[in-house]
Amino acid sequence: MGIKTRIRAWLAAGLTIGLLATGSSAFAEDWAQVEAGAKEEGALLVYSTTSRTAKAAENFSAQTGIAVEVVRLGEQDLIQRAYQEAASGVNDVDMIVVEDWVAARELLSNTGYFVNYVPPTAEKLFAERHKNPLVLGFINRVFGYNTDKHPDADPLVSVWDLTTEEYKGRVMIRDVAITGEHQNALTEWVRRSDELAAAYEKRFGKPLEMTEANAGLEFIKRFLQNDAIIMTSDTKITEAVGAPGQDNPPYGMFYVYSKHRDVPLQDLRVKESRQIDPTLGYYYPIVLQLSANAKHPNAAKMFMEYLGTLEGFAPWGDSPGVYSPNPNQVPFEGDMPLAWWEDHMWSYDLDFAAANRGLVLDTWLKYAQR
Amino acid sequence: MRTLYSRIYLGLTPQRVLSILFLIVLAYLVIVPLFLMLRETFVVHPLERFQIPGSQVGDLTWAHWQRNFFSENAYAFFYRPLLNTLKIAIGFSLLALLIGGTLAWLVVRTDLPMKGLIANAAIIPYIMPSWTLALAWITLFKNQRIGGDQGIFTALTGVATPDWFAYGLIPITITLALHYFPFGFMLIGGALRNIDAQLEESAELLGASRFTILRRIVAPLVLPAIFSTFLLTFSRGLGTFGTPAFLGGPVREFVLSTSLYANLIGQRPGIGYLAAVVMIVLGVLVLYMDHKIIGTRRSFVTISGKGARAGLVALGQWRWPVAALVLGFILAVIVVPLCALVIDTVMLRPGIYSWDNFTLHYWIGDASLTVGLGTGEPGILRNSQLMSALGNTMMLAVVVALITGILGVLVGYAIVRMRGTWVSQALDQMSFLPYLMPSIALGAIFLAMFAVPRGPIPSLHGTFTLLVIVCTVSYLPYAVKAGVSAIRQVGPELEEAAVMVGASWWTRMRRILIPVQKSTYFSGMLLPFISVTRELSLLILLVTPATQLATTITLRYTDRGWYPYTNGMVLLLVVIVVSSTILSRRLMGTSIAKGLGG
Repeated sequence: MGIKTRIRAWLAAGLTIGLLATGSSAFAEDWAQVEAGAKEEGALLVYSTTSRTAKAAENFSAQTGIAVEVVRLGEQDLIQRAYQEAASGVNDVDMIVVEDWVAARELLSNTGYFVNYVPPTAEKLFAERHKNPLVLGFINRVFGYNTDKHPDADPLVSVWDLTTEEYKGRVMIRDVAITGEHQNALTEWVRRSDELAAAYEKRFGKPLEMTEANAGLEFIKRFLQNDAIIMTSDTKITEAVGAPGQDNPPYGMFYVYSKHRDVPLQDLRVKESRQIDPTLGYYYPIVLQLSANAKHPNAAKMFMEYLGTLEGFAPWGDSPGVYSPNPNQVPFEGDMPLAWWEDHMWSYDLDFAAANRGLVLDTWLKYAQR
Repeated sequence: MRTLYSRIYLGLTPQRVLSILFLIVLAYLVIVPLFLMLRETFVVHPLERFQIPGSQVGDLTWAHWQRNFFSENAYAFFYRPLLNTLKIAIGFSLLALLIGGTLAWLVVRTDLPMKGLIANAAIIPYIMPSWTLALAWITLFKNQRIGGDQGIFTALTGVATPDWFAYGLIPITITLALHYFPFGFMLIGGALRNIDAQLEESAELLGASRFTILRRIVAPLVLPAIFSTFLLTFSRGLGTFGTPAFLGGPVREFVLSTSLYANLIGQRPGIGYLAAVVMIVLGVLVLYMDHKIIGTRRSFVTISGKGARAGLVALGQWRWPVAALVLGFILAVIVVPLCALVIDTVMLRPGIYSWDNFTLHYWIGDASLTVGLGTGEPGILRNSQLMSALGNTMMLAVVVALITGILGVLVGYAIVRMRGTWVSQALDQMSFLPYLMPSIALGAIFLAMFAVPRGPIPSLHGTFTLLVIVCTVSYLPYAVKAGVSAIRQVGPELEEAAVMVGASWWTRMRRILIPVQKSTYFSGMLLPFISVTRELSLLILLVTPATQLATTITLRYTDRGWYPYTNGMVLLLVVIVVSSTILSRRLMGTSIAKGLGG
């Protein structure tokens, strides 16, 4: 990637800002053209990391008559494929629904291969910070415990509890090495080391003594040295934490809260911690981006518009732990609204995450083996 | 004799022309990807630049190599996972050989009852994804460490399993061996089938004990097949990821493929591909050993002009106990996991095993948002997307099996009959290289190579043809290994006789070389066939909505925990593969009664 791509990236960024600056009146005029154009373009191709996009696409097609093909890909596969294809000049895909925005931004957005677009509903209703990049929804990941063992109160006070003798060999996490979002989230623990260190002092009444460079990396070390259990699936973690009839159930760290959808179905005794200091877990966006060379740009724009509406978001709305930036979205029963989670959880800083996730991964790999 | 022999090769004989053609094609499909991958390990990628002070994206660097091999943390990053990988790969390959070889010997060379059943059942573990066995192990032997429901063993006996038995290197080794033993079963079975029983009978007459016969006659004759099997399983073991991650994580034991996946997911492909390069180098070392040991020996001709049928070893009083043992084994590693899959597809609400929870909803139900998991998907058999993906998979598998089958015979012929020339060596080694490349890396490289037209090659992006090419290249080693060991066993005098009566090369192939060894070729085709049906990471970057495959389409169910659909698709594949195997064995006359297709 040379100077040319850099220039292209800056141009793309400039263009986006320009588009945003033109304001919503210009938007309203354009939209009729978008709709007219979409009808003529025909089938749209979408790569998506979330399988529910296929359901949303079906609903969208039924309503508009515009066909949408959805290919489901894992995070890394999607970024890799979109990047390789764009770099080779293959422009089949019109739009992506992508996670791990830290990596996607580097490879797909900063290179100018994909651009941001803000459709009318998002323009009107979404908070500014959810417009660029355009967010389909947020996912949150939580700490959880077994309610048979802890029927009355949430046992988790501080994240540093997980590094104590009491929790030795009892905390499960999906392998950070194979979970890009975990790597991003832990960079925030590095960035906010002071808060993390303060949380330690608050919990134990003495300052944190470190052998690592900062409290974030120190946590990773101590957490792993406390015999953490590394799993490969959030589903398995939720089941393991919540299965009834356990003497000594494990605790879950950073598993997707949406797995709580299955709690009544499987009679699981699991609850998320809502008081653990300094963060209840983390949340991150699922991002929508338009190919810079889309063959069906208008159809893609219409689909993006649809996904910002309550109806379009419906396939994601049937479980806790997934939140539309559309403020009219009613939280799932028992869940809190997005704004509440944003106040109680950390997310991550894109630039800092890009620069430091290698460090986080290396620290993890260094201590992951016993 | 010598002159007649060499007359076959002089001039522009078909096999010479073919060899040169194969060399050119393989060079493009093998050497280019290898070079591209190696290059990546010297380049700074976007997210890597932050850890390499002063670097720009695209710069050349030694940093990845330095980090992996010489840095302060090199032991944790590289050497320790490498040691684990070697322990697992060697351990499970030997175990798989032992199981596969023993079963093959029992089925082919003894009067064991129920051979047909055993022969067909023995390929099933390889059809099922390897996670089914890993999952079965955990369900059986897990202890409190990973929480959840009790393990079955503990529930029955009240004895808690120790961590070292429930998780880590030991279960990884055992479950991988149980997954890959069909390789040995097929390849060694094929070789055993062709041993002239007269050799054994003569030895017996001379007073050799059964063990001596096994050691001095049978073992050397099947040695090439044994080495091929070891090479194939060992190389697969180097790159395998799912099972080690699943069983190793709870006790925090990791392998080299973790390094590959972690760094690809961490967007540090330079470091990730380095792990792949190491895997390839290890594979090449084993390949080299194989050549040193097998390549220098020439005494493997077992099919001569004289006809001889293999006699069977009588197991005597051991016949039924051995049969019971084998059946018990099959029950444990095949029937039980299969039944577990079946049960999961007929439980309306997962994990609740009672009769009123029984349903066929996930097989034949209507799309519904209120029944069971509320998937809004029609049942598997009525799901047109699933069915068309299954159709694509089978089509791909058949096409790839046929092409690799034919290429395997031709390349194998060229390698054996041109032995000693550089062409033979180059063909042999190059045809094996793609097998050593971790599929996750190979898929990405092929995507880049074929996205745009290059020279005479048009852009194959998104085409079915590309899937065929990728699979053919990747699974060619199975067919070539089968081809080489088959042709090596056929004595040149058969061909010489044919040459004397004026038979053309084509006639010799058609009338002699293919018919006498068809069951070996058949197993050389069977492995690519099965492998295609379960391939995911190689093809995930290359499929389009029109070319969706059974494995790629079920991804959308896996991430939502809709296992009835995933498991149902696995079952359908098992049924289709097993029945088409039986059918084609009948059609091709490589019937099990004669010994088992190979």
